[in-house]
Amino acid sequence: MTASTLHPSRRMALHVMAGAAGVVAAPRIVRAQTVEITAHYSMPAIFKLAQEAVAEEFNRRQTAVRVVYSNPTPSYEDGAQLILRGAATGQLPDISFQGLNRLRIFAERGLAVDLRPFLAELGDLRALGYTEQLLNLGRANGIQAGMAWATSNPISYYNVDLLRRAGLDADRFPTNWDEVIRWSAQVKRLGGVEGMFFRWPGDDWMFSALVFGFGGRMLNADETDVGFAGPEGLNALRLLDRFVREGGMPNYTGAADLQAFAAGRLGMMFRTTAQVVGVRESVGRNFELRTARLPIIDPVNGRLPTGGAGGMIVTRDPARQRAAFAFLRFCTSVEGTTIMVRNTGYVPTNQLALDEPRHLASFYAENPLFRPATEQMPLMIPWTPFPGANSVRITETIVNNLARIVESRATPEEVQRDMANEVRRLLRARA
Amino acid sequence: MSDVVAATPYRLVRAAPMRRAGEAVAAWLLVAPAVIAFLLMLLIPTLAMVALAFTDFELGRTSFRWIGLENFSELLEDRGFRQSVQNTVLYVAFVTPLSILGGLGLAMLIEAGLRGRTFFRAAFFLPVVSLMVAMATAWQYLMHPTIGPVNNLLRSIGFAGPNWLGSSDWVLISLGLIGIWENVGFNMVLILAGLTAIPRDLYAAAEVDGATSAWERFRLVTWPLLGPTMLFVIIITTIRSIRTFDTVATLTQGGPNKASELIVWTIYQEGFTFLRMGYGAAVTVVFLIVVLGLMLLQMRLVERRVHYG
Amino acid sequence: MRDAPIPFWRDTPRLAFLLALAVLFLMPYIWMAAVSVKPRSEVFSGSLQLLPQTWNAIENYGRVFREIPVGRYLLNGIIVCALILVFQLAFAIPAAYALAKLNFRGRDTLFAFVMLGLLVPAQVPSIPLYVAIANAGLLNTYAALVMPFTISVFAIFLFRQFFKAMPDELIHAARLDGMGEFSLVWRVIIPNAWPAATAFGIFSVVAHWSDLFWPLVVINRGDLYTPALGVLHFRSEEAGDDYGALMAAAALVTAPLVAAFLLAQRRFIEGITMTGLKG
Repeated sequence: MTASTLHPSRRMALHVMAGAAGVVAAPRIVRAQTVEITAHYSMPAIFKLAQEAVAEEFNRRQTAVRVVYSNPTPSYEDGAQLILRGAATGQLPDISFQGLNRLRIFAERGLAVDLRPFLAELGDLRALGYTEQLLNLGRANGIQAGMAWATSNPISYYNVDLLRRAGLDADRFPTNWDEVIRWSAQVKRLGGVEGMFFRWPGDDWMFSALVFGFGGRMLNADETDVGFAGPEGLNALRLLDRFVREGGMPNYTGAADLQAFAAGRLGMMFRTTAQVVGVRESVGRNFELRTARLPIIDPVNGRLPTGGAGGMIVTRDPARQRAAFAFLRFCTSVEGTTIMVRNTGYVPTNQLALDEPRHLASFYAENPLFRPATEQMPLMIPWTPFPGANSVRITETIVNNLARIVESRATPEEVQRDMANEVRRLLRARA
Repeated sequence: MSDVVAATPYRLVRAAPMRRAGEAVAAWLLVAPAVIAFLLMLLIPTLAMVALAFTDFELGRTSFRWIGLENFSELLEDRGFRQSVQNTVLYVAFVTPLSILGGLGLAMLIEAGLRGRTFFRAAFFLPVVSLMVAMATAWQYLMHPTIGPVNNLLRSIGFAGPNWLGSSDWVLISLGLIGIWENVGFNMVLILAGLTAIPRDLYAAAEVDGATSAWERFRLVTWPLLGPTMLFVIIITTIRSIRTFDTVATLTQGGPNKASELIVWTIYQEGFTFLRMGYGAAVTVVFLIVVLGLMLLQMRLVERRVHYG
Repeated sequence: MRDAPIPFWRDTPRLAFLLALAVLFLMPYIWMAAVSVKPRSEVFSGSLQLLPQTWNAIENYGRVFREIPVGRYLLNGIIVCALILVFQLAFAIPAAYALAKLNFRGRDTLFAFVMLGLLVPAQVPSIPLYVAIANAGLLNTYAALVMPFTISVFAIFLFRQFFKAMPDELIHAARLDGMGEFSLVWRVIIPNAWPAATAFGIFSVVAHWSDLFWPLVVINRGDLYTPALGVLHFRSEEAGDDYGALMAAAALVTAPLVAAFLLAQRRFIEGITMTGLKG
């Protein structure tokens, strides 16, 4: 927080509101020329087809706005870097698709344009398919920083042939973790194979899945303290510990679990649904692959974290903002989200696409692997971005502490205590 | 070489003052382009970063405050920073001597005969050329605890292979082995050149004097004459291993639990991932001071023992 | 070291050892080449199977050529590396000559100072440089890719060694002929620096061809991508890499370097030899 100035995002919000109000109030002169906007996204390996398809369709349907892409960045982190660097030099695209949990970083720095005025103009949002839940995914720092474009949640992947070889009924995949742990131990007894892997490394997303699953949260309601210092957090850590001790979960890093699974040496894998296309291709015809929902812990209060990307408007020019919003609106409309799903397999971000079977029913019938993620949609809540300057560092601290459990170097109680203390310190350090 | 200087007529060496002034002007003009580029591309940006070490600058924010030595006091208490320094010291101590000795060994083996030189030079130089982005997957697979060939091989001879990249006990060693793999070829090529420069008649002379074994020849002729080469190689290798970044960034990201975190990765992570540029700059300042001290020490120690021509 | 050729049977242990070691060293590359011709489902299996059951080379390499303009990226690589090398030589050779052969006040301090440049990792000056380049409107240009690397401390170090070993007679003879310092550099020093320049050239090209960090900072326009960035296109942490295409892309990008090294190899060793690293 800068010492003497008004909070940047509030200042920015005021500017934007003023700008938007100005545009709305101006006489409606229909402009003949086309506004060209630049769009940016990350991970071309996943999103290239979807982005190009949706832009093509958008450009085709109207001529007031033309969408052009700048070169996509390889990862979400590179994409965030691009915008953050651009803040210092003004080299920014008009609209950028960023990882949902990073929207907060941009909102805090006043880089994300508040979309509430634009949404207000659309009228009945619910009728257009924008539920509270979906809109919430794009909220950060008190404003509507973006809109969810492609979302993911954690699911179960399993190797039917390997499970059957271990004497398990693969047609009745476990719906709770106790059974998963038992199955894992049984598969491991075959020798030369591993039973399960729960993808805890990299970031705190999957760990959040456990905490949310117990009905807990990562932060408390007013974001002043951690939310995992209580019983839900402890239970989540104990469960992770049981994966290792009872289920025999190996200590994999990087893509080792994907590699072992593709080689047919890992029975069950718990990861983001974003991997479905990749896993399907890696597996090929080596064995029968199926997916299922993540085992449920608390059927009433349990929730799941949301991953994926959201569109954020960056330009400060009012005319370009309107144009960018028109594109974003199309991306998240029922047509846009259908295009996205067909090209990526992520979860749709428009409720109508799910409520009205004519859009995606055939897709899910032909691609059953994508169904579990979509079935879990009602449980999706935002992946908690921690506030303040240390937000990314906090995520790393959590992962480092989880490593201690997986390597059996500390007990769940010790880890919970240390983790809570360290994260609290980081939360306090830079308000 | 240097005896040529001794044979130069005295009057040319003792140039007149006028000549010296002209020489100085010419010299400065000759170094000018390099100095200007150095200032613009290296020194000034680095100084800018050093200045940032005293602020709370974050990437993406447009303003920042001066906070004096706060970053440095935070650094002193940072467990992660201490771990990073410790790891870097261990890593450099492991990789530098082994890759130099490896390079030396390979160079000598290759030069010992005429067959296959081209092939072997290319084969061992190839790792230097490697694109870490693709190599990362290869290494992850080769070192995979369950399906990797390395562990498969170990299993077939009765050993349970460790979790090379996943265990905090082994990950630094694994990165070190990859570091040696990358650097051996580089050193080998430099040393090869040094070896081929040694005049053959010196070996003949040594034999006449009674040095009959290979070890004697090495001790009396090869090693002393390799002195300057080795100095160069030691300095360059040490700096290269201190600056290791790519393997950490693509393979382990410092994990698990900072067991493989090296100092340049810490600098990068603090500034670019955590977005705390001011703090990252503070780490950089400490890093530069320490390494500079080490370099000066090393040069002084080793240069004293180097036998020039 | 011995000039008499060793009979083959006596050479065998040495050759066998070197060969075994070479195979070990080349293992990652061998696997990489194998993967580049396999379909994705065969990449990871329980045992090391190098030969593919289904020959997928056309799909993998085809995919690389379809999705990224390989020729364009390779051309960019050549242009950028060539430009960098030219500037590095242009700045380093005169400076190294002055530091090696000329006597002037401040010479040793200057050299020590320049050596510091070896210590600074690329990440450190990158943000201030980025801001300066962006403000100069030079983002997404070849200039941005080339500028930070025009100063190569390694080059100055290497050439200085080389020139120190060069006989002074050559220079004195030229001076006696009335040549000024600059024409001396142009007519005598540079032509004689050729072997060292070849040697340095290889190190320089190898370093900058594969550079990912800086191009990611200053380039986001596809037609300016360097070869390494092209390979990144196939990397995706979130969805899992398309390994076959990734390895095929890496092979295509590494091959020119290997070819260049093989061609320049002999010159290269000669070049370093004559840098008189021996003294």
